[in-house]
Amino acid sequence: MSSTDSIATRWRRALSFRNISAIYIFIVIFATFSIVTPETFLQEGVWRTLLDAQAITVIAAIGVMIPLTTGSFNLAIGAEIGFAGILVAVLQVKQDMPFIVAISLTLLAGAFIGLVSGLIITKGRIDSFVATLGLSSILLAGLAWMSSSKQVIGLQDGFREIATSTYFGITVPTYLMVVLALVVWYVLERTPVGRRMYAAGYNPAGARLAGVNVVVLRISALVAGGIIAAMAGVLLTSRLNTGEPTVGPGLLLPALTAVFLGSTQLAGGRFNVWGTVLAVYVLATGIKGLQLVGAQPWISDLFNGVALLSAVGLSQWEKTAARTAAVRRALPFTRQGDDTEPPAEPGDRSPSVVAHR
Amino acid sequence: MTTASPESPAGGGPHAVRLLRVTDLVRDFPGLRALDGVSVEIASGEIVAIVGHNGSGKSTLVKILAGVDAADGGRVELAEHEGTRTELHVIHQDLGLVSELTAVENLRLAPDPSRSRLAPHHRSRERDHAQTLISRFGIPFEVDVPIARLAPAQRSVVAIARALDGWKHDRNVLILDEPTEALHANEVDVLFGAVRRAAATGAGVLFISHRLDEVLELADRVIVLRNGRKVADLPTRDLDHETLVTHVTGSDLHHRPESGPKRVLGKIALDIVGLTGPHVHGFDLALREGEVVGVAGVLGSGRDTLPSLVFGAVPASAESFRVAGRDYLRRSPRESVRRGVAFVAGDRVTLGAVATMNARENMTLPDLRPFTGRFGALRRRAERATAGDLARRYDVRPPAPEQRFAQFSGGNQQKIVFAKWLRNEPRVLLLEEPTQGVDIGAKQFIYSEIDAAASRGMAVLVCSSDAKELVRLCDRVAVMRNGEVVNELSGEGLTESALVAEGYGLTTTITPNRGAPHVQH
Repeated sequence: MSSTDSIATRWRRALSFRNISAIYIFIVIFATFSIVTPETFLQEGVWRTLLDAQAITVIAAIGVMIPLTTGSFNLAIGAEIGFAGILVAVLQVKQDMPFIVAISLTLLAGAFIGLVSGLIITKGRIDSFVATLGLSSILLAGLAWMSSSKQVIGLQDGFREIATSTYFGITVPTYLMVVLALVVWYVLERTPVGRRMYAAGYNPAGARLAGVNVVVLRISALVAGGIIAAMAGVLLTSRLNTGEPTVGPGLLLPALTAVFLGSTQLAGGRFNVWGTVLAVYVLATGIKGLQLVGAQPWISDLFNGVALLSAVGLSQWEKTAARTAAVRRALPFTRQGDDTEPPAEPGDRSPSVVAHR
Repeated sequence: MTTASPESPAGGGPHAVRLLRVTDLVRDFPGLRALDGVSVEIASGEIVAIVGHNGSGKSTLVKILAGVDAADGGRVELAEHEGTRTELHVIHQDLGLVSELTAVENLRLAPDPSRSRLAPHHRSRERDHAQTLISRFGIPFEVDVPIARLAPAQRSVVAIARALDGWKHDRNVLILDEPTEALHANEVDVLFGAVRRAAATGAGVLFISHRLDEVLELADRVIVLRNGRKVADLPTRDLDHETLVTHVTGSDLHHRPESGPKRVLGKIALDIVGLTGPHVHGFDLALREGEVVGVAGVLGSGRDTLPSLVFGAVPASAESFRVAGRDYLRRSPRESVRRGVAFVAGDRVTLGAVATMNARENMTLPDLRPFTGRFGALRRRAERATAGDLARRYDVRPPAPEQRFAQFSGGNQQKIVFAKWLRNEPRVLLLEEPTQGVDIGAKQFIYSEIDAAASRGMAVLVCSSDAKELVRLCDRVAVMRNGEVVNELSGEGLTESALVAEGYGLTTTITPNRGAPHVQH
């Protein structure tokens, strides 16, 4: 990582399996399904749909990731998306509002929900896991009440076109996803605010003593996450052309999985935007391929669950590998072999050291 | 001293039984020989200390003896006694106790092979057993409360008692790895009493430490490691502090002018009247530019919470609180940093830094403004350059700002923390245990940095449990007891023994070889 490393070393590290395992996995998945089911898997339409449909998942994942960098889990993301999706439909259909007003109010509601969860977590001192789980349940109740658990139909024409119109063959949600990812990447990786957010997430007490306003950052991150979730909800309803009460909550697992899998990519254990984007598409490609060879719909749940566990397992493994490397590096400057495969854990060595060698 | 010498009766006669023999141990890491032919012997009843810098090989040696790491060469031989092999029992720094459980329950954690796993336990019998075990160490305490509520020294007694409880015979070896690290000066005596008692029953004790005073007080024999080699193996009676430092460092760097140039005091930088908060009642202070003021006191006297209160990390009230002449009543860490108050927290890893971030990110975290360019972006090249300069300027080893904070050794972590705060030349520097867990080389470096900061006009407040450190650094020292300042020492009156005596509330000077006092909880 030192700036004195040669370009070759840096490239080798950048292309190592540890850094971009998802890309290698993607290649394997792609090759497998291209051979097994070339006539469907290699269709342009399949990929176009995949790109478009997963754009909303990426947006949801970014909505989970931002609070997570500051150390707050947002398990309410699915409910927030569902709630926003129904709210924007109900405001149009039952309150007869122009869709622009409905969207604005929905984004505002998203911000408010984020603010409430932020206050519960920071001022109420309730663990974010529990706080957002509770909030999620409340939002689901609100969602069911607004929609009477039925689809909300009869949306305005202009509203439907938001998610369906295309420019150069690419849909609006995809563009929005790219813009959002760029903005979030810039803030997190290139500004003092982003630096402080990571610091607050890694060690709130230590960051606070360094003059970082941890409480404000955590609340702001949840507000930003709430707005992004609302945005995902609006796009989802527009894309389906109905307020559908059941789809939003289903986005929690793929989003969370992508964020954790993404954290093992590119940035050596940090939650990061491009890793998250990459992870969403790798997961979606795998699921798509399985569906094309005739797997049942439940395969996506299975796939996401296994991927989430492996992603978190992988990041734990990274941590222990880093620890092992630390033991070596605590001893003076031996930087060769720095980026080779991590050595076996000290525990792997024979415990019978008391005997002779 | 009450130390059991190798010739003590417990050792079994004039020629004590050898329990452990390590011969020519070698351990290679890529590009570095961490252990280079180290030999160690321990006899029954003997307390042997192993000292050395960070990176001297002492932790590698412990890891090999504990079975966590394997040697590349050499032999480890264990004696046999009453048909069973001598056992090695390592007590690590964290003690390996479950803090939610009571002492009785912690002692019971080891499985008892004579009974069925599902057999009900005898509460009263186990309680009695625990009390017997612990009373052997001469400091009775409550065995039925979760050990989280015990004093740290009492916890270490539980750990030692548990180690001895599992032994079939007394001729085993107890290895204590930096056991005093979490303890404050007055609690160390309790631990030492326990260690001596263990040795008196015939155990061999291997004591790893870098606190030389403690080593000289406790050990019968001292082994010094440097760069993986054994450079000295001497009876303690042949050593004094100075010769030991020379062995550890390999040079005579300990000797620096004790009375440096007289500092020039400027305006009052920090003016506090009646600061009151947890453990502190009505603290007053007028700290001038260029002045180093110390705060001494035992654990709980208010000395340990004071810096957090001043910095605004813990809420506190004050009649008057001024920094550089300006009122500062609504205190917070963020606002303190803005006003030029810096705080080196005692707990380096959890409070002093963000351990998962790298050295560069930690050094620049308190103030990123100098690196903020157009569109609010960080100017990464400028930040890297500054971090590189700081790493060299503060002698951080290795000088690799991109390495994670957690991967540096204790001394180098503390240098990074100092670089982080001194980078912006704060007006007031608050220090809490500035050299705890730091090797001697880094300690000297930090002392000279504090001297230099003061001579540049910084106002420094040092809160420390290390009396020697306060005497070395400070112009004057306030001694706290029960939350209040009871005395202030300066000039000729500022001595180690006077500080200790004042801290304990004793009128006479304490002799260095004091017995183990009962620790009040």
